[in-house]
Amino acid sequence: MTDETEITLTVNGTEHTVEVEPRRLLVHAIREDLDLTGTHIGCDTGNCGACTVLKDGEPIKSCLMFATQADGAEILTVEGMEDLPAADDDLHPLQEGFREEHGLQCGYCTPGMLMAGKALLDENPEPEEDEIREAISGNLCRCTGYQNIVRSIEYAADELDARAATDGGAVAAADGERSADAGGEADTFCGLEDCCGGPDASGGDHAGDQFEREYLGGEET
Amino acid sequence: MKSAPFEHYEPTTTNEATSLLESLDDPTILAGGQSLVPMLRFRLANPDVVVDINGIDSLDYLREEDGYLKLGALARHADVEDSDLIDERYGSFADTAPLVADPQIRNRGTVAGSVAQADPKGDWGSVLLAHEGEIVAEGPDGERVIPADEFFLLPYDTTLGEDELITEVRIPTPEPREGSAYHKLKRKTGDYAMAGVGARLVLDDDGRIETAGIGMTAVDITNAQATDAEQHLEGERPSADLFETAGELAAEASNPESDEHGGADYKERMVDVLAQRALGDAAERAGAVRRKVTQ
Repeated sequence: MTDETEITLTVNGTEHTVEVEPRRLLVHAIREDLDLTGTHIGCDTGNCGACTVLKDGEPIKSCLMFATQADGAEILTVEGMEDLPAADDDLHPLQEGFREEHGLQCGYCTPGMLMAGKALLDENPEPEEDEIREAISGNLCRCTGYQNIVRSIEYAADELDARAATDGGAVAAADGERSADAGGEADTFCGLEDCCGGPDASGGDHAGDQFEREYLGGEET
Repeated sequence: MKSAPFEHYEPTTTNEATSLLESLDDPTILAGGQSLVPMLRFRLANPDVVVDINGIDSLDYLREEDGYLKLGALARHADVEDSDLIDERYGSFADTAPLVADPQIRNRGTVAGSVAQADPKGDWGSVLLAHEGEIVAEGPDGERVIPADEFFLLPYDTTLGEDELITEVRIPTPEPREGSAYHKLKRKTGDYAMAGVGARLVLDDDGRIETAGIGMTAVDITNAQATDAEQHLEGERPSADLFETAGELAAEASNPESDEHGGADYKERMVDVLAQRALGDAAERAGAVRRKVTQ
């Protein structure tokens, strides 16, 4: 069973059948078998995130899984961005954001950053800055200091939001991973904070640690 | 670098997987692969045979059943992170999941795989120890339930048999007055813990601590339990003073090594601090009232 096996990958909407060895990484199948070299390899350890692609809508590091494990999966790589409805036959708003906000210098990390950004905006169209930073925390950039990458993703969120407001959500809803319902609800007009994909309420705030604390067990709050 | 070539099997049922493990020579199990794949690429692991369990759909679950919170072997960190059940009832799990590695890795990596990997810097082992958790394994002789405190032997070494497959990790569902928490110190997002502490407290009707559990990350050769600190807590009422002493006892029980992230003394001090914070959160979540008093 070290022999090659046949797998089917749907990459950017096109179905491909490739023969791979069990040890072939997904990133190598994408780059070498399918010749889609936009997905980069920046490290050997899984730290850098340059190889990030969306597998069935979720961001994953394509250097940390074997191609056989993606058999039957839908993969989106950076090459597929301009074919998404939101790109409107031009650059996707995320790509436009990286251009407008100077979100790259050498560009090596950019494909991974774009895919991480895409995954974030699919889930959470109006992210706060800390949510953007969390979403790209698995992606390393050695040029920008991240500041402009965060702005680039904010730019895309604003752009998509503005279009959704104009088009009644048609563009956003047509972008693939988001359901028609989510797009149609037009988060902008919800009017409630932390609603419509907003951040979960989280506990564990330790702002009070400078105080002495007491615990009175047995009393209900 | 590429992995060395290996034979590759994709069972779709647990039975198929366990028969493969029994019949094959020294197979390695591939679940989330977020530690194993880099190890294969660096050839730190060179198995002849890899059994990929990702096709066993019946192992993909996270649910409460028969008095346990059960995570099937394919429950990913992100499944825990996204679960409403976890948010509502399992403080330590809700704390831990978002602190594991980064979003991409959490989408693939599994909780059970992290436990099986037995990296002393892994977070989940400490959480299982704090909760008196169990590891359920399937082997040639059927099912075996291994208490978490009998699971970890050495770094990357456990009492799991070579022909056994972890099918599930589980912890008891919360008592009426139970709270738990996990605190982790790391240099930046995505890093392993420099130190971490998980705590679980069960209060009795009188508000005294009936059961206490404390698990520690990255400060010993395995995930470790702070037994003295646990015993010190039991039977007492939660208080800052009590937790201070428990923190000191946990620090004493820890055995960290100095490295580029900090000296052993510093890490011990961090165990103390993290234990106090985790116990504080656990007590509050168990229903104890936290009163802040300015000094």
